[in-house]
Amino acid sequence: MIGRITPLMTTAQVLSSINNVEDQLATTEQQLSTGKSINQPSDNPYGASLAIQLNTDLSGLGNYANNVTDGTAWTSAATSALSNVQSMVQRVQELVVQASNGTQSASDLQATQAEVNQLKDAIKQEANTQYNGQYVFSGSATGTEPYSNSTGDVYQGNTGTVSREVGPNSSVSVNADISSLLGSGSSTADGKLLDTLTQISSDLGGGTSADVADLSNNQLTNLQTSLTSLDGLQANVGAAQNRLTLASTRITDLQTSDTAALSNDEDANIAQTYTTYSNEQAALTAALRAGANIVQSSLMNFLN
Amino acid sequence: MTIPSFTGYQTAYSGLEAAQAAIDTTGENISNANTPGYTRQVVNTGEAGSLEIPQRSEQGAHAQLGTGVDVTSISRIRDQFLDIQYRAQNTASSNANTNSTELQQVQTALNEPSTSGVSTQLDNFYSAWSSLASSQSSSTEGNVISAGQTLVSTLNSTYQQMQTVQTQAQQQLATLTGANGQVEQDATKLATLNGQITEATQAGQTPNDLLDQRDNVLDDLSGLAQISVTNQTDGSVTVGFGDAATPLVSGTTVTWPQSLTSPTKTGGQLGALMSLSDTSSSGTIQQYMNSLSSIAGQITTSVNALQSPSSPFFSGTLGSISSPLAVSATASSVQSSSSSTSGADLAQSIANLSGGAASQSYAAFVSQIGSGVQAAESTQSTSAAVLAAVSNQRQSVSGVSLDQEMTNLINYQQAYQASARVMNAMDSALNTLITTVGAGL
Repeated sequence: MIGRITPLMTTAQVLSSINNVEDQLATTEQQLSTGKSINQPSDNPYGASLAIQLNTDLSGLGNYANNVTDGTAWTSAATSALSNVQSMVQRVQELVVQASNGTQSASDLQATQAEVNQLKDAIKQEANTQYNGQYVFSGSATGTEPYSNSTGDVYQGNTGTVSREVGPNSSVSVNADISSLLGSGSSTADGKLLDTLTQISSDLGGGTSADVADLSNNQLTNLQTSLTSLDGLQANVGAAQNRLTLASTRITDLQTSDTAALSNDEDANIAQTYTTYSNEQAALTAALRAGANIVQSSLMNFLN
Repeated sequence: MTIPSFTGYQTAYSGLEAAQAAIDTTGENISNANTPGYTRQVVNTGEAGSLEIPQRSEQGAHAQLGTGVDVTSISRIRDQFLDIQYRAQNTASSNANTNSTELQQVQTALNEPSTSGVSTQLDNFYSAWSSLASSQSSSTEGNVISAGQTLVSTLNSTYQQMQTVQTQAQQQLATLTGANGQVEQDATKLATLNGQITEATQAGQTPNDLLDQRDNVLDDLSGLAQISVTNQTDGSVTVGFGDAATPLVSGTTVTWPQSLTSPTKTGGQLGALMSLSDTSSSGTIQQYMNSLSSIAGQITTSVNALQSPSSPFFSGTLGSISSPLAVSATASSVQSSSSSTSGADLAQSIANLSGGAASQSYAAFVSQIGSGVQAAESTQSTSAAVLAAVSNQRQSVSGVSLDQEMTNLINYQQAYQASARVMNAMDSALNTLITTVGAGL
């Protein structure tokens, strides 16, 4: 080392060594108590920015997962409503077949008419299904009731799509355009289901042979067309549900891998940190003990 | 010429005197062993002149009889070169310490990584828009507003805390350089010491304690800024301070206050504070504040671009006093759709900004601050290590070693005793001469 060693030099050296060990010990203690190896950006600048980006990714994935859940519930509501509509249309089909074979009396026909009217109202009710306070079948005007009492059979919604974002640049349309099935009733004479049902009801009410002929020649065909259209809608909704399921799996996988990456980046390896902590504590004890011995000796101890 | 009778006494006495001086100096060293800045002193001795004793046997030949020892001076053992090295390193170390401490405070103000920092609030903000895209109601609209307000208040408070660190650096700088600040106090002390040392030097003395005090003041000044010390012939020193135009102290004249312009040329604690407190775009902290403000601008511009220009979501700029950053939209003015048939396209587009340019800029900003602090801490520990090494070297040369003083004490004690014995011998020789030779006359 250097030539002369003075007590002040020795003390300074001892203190500085103890200080260094205590400084390292403090850092290790912080890591143990927080469980993280990155407690401020200066611990690992790149790691800190990576942690921020991974957390943002996870937040985005959480949003996508919420959208998938919401979309799934939406499509479930749509599926069950459409399924009910299907049963009802099939019932109307049965009734029309029975009525068109010419064997029913006028009063029978009127009873059938009453049932058809009720089924038509029930179908409109299904069209007004809501999920989470929003109308499922109003296109993008989810606050507007598709078929309200005051507006009769006229469709009040629009043909916009309701989509849920389930990935970057990836969205799923979760609604079905029910106006393509139900139409806006006999005032527009669009030949769709509500118009058809109104026609059927008036035929049953009339009861004449021309009416009965109309039932069997035209209305049964119209009903078949409606059922085909309904199939199409159900297929679309089913496809949307499939896409949502696939998205959900993908999102979960990404969340798992991001969480693992985040943990790798910022979590402290507890076993390793604890071992380091024990080593540093031992080093501190040794430094303190050595320091105590060194600082005490001088020539005076040995002179008479 | 014969030897004067009482010369011997003088010779022995000079030995006693020298030993006495040496013991006193050893006492002085031991008492001051722990005095900070104390330089050990040694007694310098030289042979006193000699008497010429002519020889009887040879004409013109002489024997030289020594007449004892002279204490020529008591001097300090100090290496001027080590002093220069120490002061330069002290300046660098002070600079690094101040930088590191202040930047750590800025990093603490940033509060990242943390669930209450800006990045989490930004994520929450975008999530609120995502919820709005799925379901437009007064509660989701209200959530967007309150998430926006939380984001704004987090940005504002981070900015203000950084500004506080900057202001505190300014205040510290003003205190140190202002009236009765440390610079003025040190300079005044230095001037007084210069005067006293000059007087003593002209009277032919070496005022060791005053020189030690002056060296201490110079060490202190070197921590504040870079100093250049010139020794003058009259014993005073002229001290240049930082990049000040006129020397701070010249003889007994103090020139302060002066303006210091360049942080790099000034160095030391003052240089670091100048750079940290600078409110122009070259100030360290100001640069961070400007970056944060520009990131906030990126966020607000990108969100406002997806809302109607007549009712923007955000208003103002981060850091501006005349138009502070705020949420100017209300739950009823928030637009989630661009048209009645487009669905919640605006809300979804804003939610999709997550992880985009603004988020990435912020992550890079955090990394930048982390790197800055890391570098400052590393410089700090390196400087401290070098300073400790130079300080050790100084101590090695000038410090008091009790072992050495003890050993010397034994030496001087023996020398004193031996000289006293010589006096005894001389005394008894003269006694013989006086009482025996010529007795009975």
